[in-house]
Amino acid sequence: MNIETVIIAVAGIFAVASSIGVLLTRDNFYAALYMSVTMIFVAAIYAVFNLQPVVVIIALIFVGAVGIVTIAIAATYRARPSRQVSLAWTAPVVIVFGILAYAYYKFATQDLEITGQGVFPAVASDYFFVVVFLFSLVVLMMLSAIKLARRVDL
Amino acid sequence: MIDVDVSQLTVILTVSGAILLVAYLTAISAKDLIRLLISLELMFAAVFLAILPLFTISPATGYALVIITAFTSSTELLVLVTAIILLDRRKRGMDVEKVAVGGDSL
Repeated sequence: MNIETVIIAVAGIFAVASSIGVLLTRDNFYAALYMSVTMIFVAAIYAVFNLQPVVVIIALIFVGAVGIVTIAIAATYRARPSRQVSLAWTAPVVIVFGILAYAYYKFATQDLEITGQGVFPAVASDYFFVVVFLFSLVVLMMLSAIKLARRVDL
Repeated sequence: MIDVDVSQLTVILTVSGAILLVAYLTAISAKDLIRLLISLELMFAAVFLAILPLFTISPATGYALVIITAFTSSTELLVLVTAIILLDRRKRGMDVEKVAVGGDSL
């Protein structure tokens, strides 16, 4: 086991631990914080493979924008914490996780190789229409959300 | 050029599956919309980890999927923030139990 595998394993353990923190904490504010920490560790795993554009996307969009908005909303509505864990669902989840982990361990038999790390600038031209359509979708959703929010009286 | 050996692949996919299952567990036990929003973001974190092996086959497709995932997540945040605002205005609270049935009333 080389040093990269150890770093990935440690980052993965911290990511899972912080996601379990989301499940166990009673306060929405701390749950949002744990979610942002999980995202940071996911970005750290990408950083190990030197996929820097993905690290930037996760750090800027998921932690910087989505995470902060979620934290702000959670901080606003943190007045009524309640117990979140449904113990009845814990056993099936643990069993499914065990099957998944065994399947990955059993059937992952071939090394993979990350190539073409410099192709990110070409993505904007190769997938130009996809990006344009996605921008249009977000703008459309934003306008619909504004119209919907204004239609409901205070 | 980086090699992803079998142990790294196993760790990445196992962590992805673990985060996804924790997110599912959080979603089905959520009692308010904010916890639901957080669990959905956790699911996107698991999706990001599951995409990583795709970079070994087709990096351009991997980057495109990452961008699509980012847009999808942002749109999902937009919709859920709107839902939170509307639910707070109509029902005076965030609890999902306040919504008994779906659909608009005529």
